[in-house]
Amino acid sequence: MTSHALPLPNSTEPRLAGDLAIWFFIMAELLAFAVFFAAYAFTRAAHVEEFNLAQQALNRNAGAINTLLLLTGSAFVVRAVQGALAGEARRAAPWMLAAIASGVTFLVVKMVEYSAAFDHGVSLSSSTFDMFYLSLTFFHFMHVILGLVILSVLWLGLRAGRYGPHNMNGLESGAAYWHMVDLLWLILFPLVYVIH
Amino acid sequence: MQYKSQAVAKPYFIAAIGLFIGQIVFGLIMGLQYVIGDFLFPEIPFNVARMVHTNLLIVWLLFGFMGAAYYMVPEESETELYSPKLAIALFWIFLTAGALTVLGYLFVPYATLAQMTGNDLLATMGREFLEQPLPTKLGIVVVALAFLFNITMTVLKGRKTAISTVLLLGLWGLAIFFLFSFYNPHNLVKDKYYWWWVVHLWVEGVWELILGALLAFVLIKVTGVDREVIEKWLYVIITLTLITGIIGTGHHYYWIGAPEYWQWWGSIFSALEPIPFFAMTVFAFNMVNRRRREHPNKAAVLWALGTGVMAFLGAGVWGFLHTLAPVNYYTHGSQITAAHGHMAFYGAYVMVVLCIISYAMPILRGRAANSNKAQVCEMWSFWLMTVAMVFITLFLTAAGILQVWLQRVSDTPMSFMATQDQVALFYWMREWAGVMFFVGLIVYVISFFIKGETKAATQ
Amino acid sequence: MSFTENVAAGSHGTPAGTFRHWLVLIVATLLTWQLGESRGGGLLTAIILGIAMIKGAVIAFDFMALRHAPLLWRCLLGGWLVLVCSLIGLAYWKGITP
Repeated sequence: MTSHALPLPNSTEPRLAGDLAIWFFIMAELLAFAVFFAAYAFTRAAHVEEFNLAQQALNRNAGAINTLLLLTGSAFVVRAVQGALAGEARRAAPWMLAAIASGVTFLVVKMVEYSAAFDHGVSLSSSTFDMFYLSLTFFHFMHVILGLVILSVLWLGLRAGRYGPHNMNGLESGAAYWHMVDLLWLILFPLVYVIH
Repeated sequence: MQYKSQAVAKPYFIAAIGLFIGQIVFGLIMGLQYVIGDFLFPEIPFNVARMVHTNLLIVWLLFGFMGAAYYMVPEESETELYSPKLAIALFWIFLTAGALTVLGYLFVPYATLAQMTGNDLLATMGREFLEQPLPTKLGIVVVALAFLFNITMTVLKGRKTAISTVLLLGLWGLAIFFLFSFYNPHNLVKDKYYWWWVVHLWVEGVWELILGALLAFVLIKVTGVDREVIEKWLYVIITLTLITGIIGTGHHYYWIGAPEYWQWWGSIFSALEPIPFFAMTVFAFNMVNRRRREHPNKAAVLWALGTGVMAFLGAGVWGFLHTLAPVNYYTHGSQITAAHGHMAFYGAYVMVVLCIISYAMPILRGRAANSNKAQVCEMWSFWLMTVAMVFITLFLTAAGILQVWLQRVSDTPMSFMATQDQVALFYWMREWAGVMFFVGLIVYVISFFIKGETKAATQ
Repeated sequence: MSFTENVAAGSHGTPAGTFRHWLVLIVATLLTWQLGESRGGGLLTAIILGIAMIKGAVIAFDFMALRHAPLLWRCLLGGWLVLVCSLIGLAYWKGITP
């Protein structure tokens, strides 16, 4: 029971895509990571040479490939949402599956990257840079996993035809969470892998 | 009340208040011992008074949570409690065990108590807040499991709501994490590491779920705001709690010998722990602002709003003040810690239990709310206790800042005892504030006995 | 009518628009990747951070449909992007100035 009618998804009134609760959650996650990003950036400023040196051991190619994967996954999610909005949820389901595939590939690439790093003696205690690198990417990794669980739920919903122009809330909320995961990586990659 | 079996909550609430009084008496004893060192020595040494004060706090809050659950769950589930008889039996078992334990602390030398109660079989005694003899700890587990069985069966029987789900999660979590009190590693680092799995994951983890559920329940009843709205807020709040609080445990791992990365993880995540408390405050005020009815129980509304504010200040702000590792390096184990501890426990847990009691007790006694006279008296007690606690906290904060400066930061650090001499004035002031708190508590008890015109219960 | 024509040009855009956004994101990423191979420094860092902000804006305003959201949310997320990248830039500058 709400006191005002919600505008339909394809109208032009200002409208937040997704549930208010999920956006609160998104802001909280963004805040948490922002604090971590800032902690990294300012710690680096006090140990520039050490960080530059340790960063050279990072697999920047893996990081870049992962960026491409997440961005592509996000684009796939948008296509799925557009399909549902047009009343074609079942036909749009494969786009969501493709997004899931991108995300899973991200995880695989990351695990290969971690495996090589661990072999080289990188650990939470090997250096301050390594601690940040592992912490930031691992926390993000966990969020990718959660994002994939959410996308899987959305995929099942699309296949069952549960989403449509009058039932977009769940789909948009889940999609927004996935885009947040992507957004975080868009900062993480340049910050940890590139800037020197 | 809507369901007859909700009546079992009454003895739990009464016991809670009784034990609360005991807790404060021993608090006052210790406050005086801070400045008159041999007060009541050797009959009640400081360490014994401290065990009684802290253990009574936890036990009375547990009575409060249980009473709250027995009141809330039948109403939320829309069915009678699974076994009211079991609830009453458990009440007497828990009360007796608690009383015996406290008497044991007071009348038996601790080492003898340990010997008498089989501590050599499985050593669980001797740790702060977990001083209970092994039989008591086992008794707590049995009582908790039986209580959880009773409540869970009730929920399974009937309607499942977000509030009852979150409450169950919190209560089950409480029981499960208590099991870590049986794990007492020989290695001192591990000992401390896992001790926090009881303490931190209780008060900065699953207890916050209980807090949220109780607050949400009272707000639905007194404001009439849509259940959907309130439950959505509850989910956001507990998510924020768990995201920040679980890894936030690391703020207890800075100096105990754990790896250095905990100084980063603990600082970053625990710095965000005030956020759920901020959300709770906004939530409470927002719901009251959007209320659809004027509930006759004004006192309960006051407690609800007060809980939000004081929990945010005590747990959130005062917690934040000393949570970052570079700060904590200097303030660890100082009176800053005591300041935070007192306001946090009062603001978050004491107040929410008093809030649910304030809401439920009149109904259990046959009316929607107490008379105006009684409510005014109760509201006086709210202000007396809350303002007193603010002063206690401010005085301890001042003592702490001076202590940290003199003992740790200064170029010519003083010894512990010499420093204590210098901050004694703040301890005296704290004790007077403590007396004011006790007066507030007496006024609170009196409010239960004030008569006058009451409105009939609407259900 | 084909599937692509069926999609309303509403808050989530069109397939063609999404493809264009994706291209921009990919090119920006490749650019950042390439810039990363060089010797670094203040100017390059500023460019990289600028690119990150632009990529973030595409995700936030186009993919998350914030372009059509109430002002508050646009400010919150846009502000987050600007704040985080500025802080990183500030820290970087702090690191290179003695």
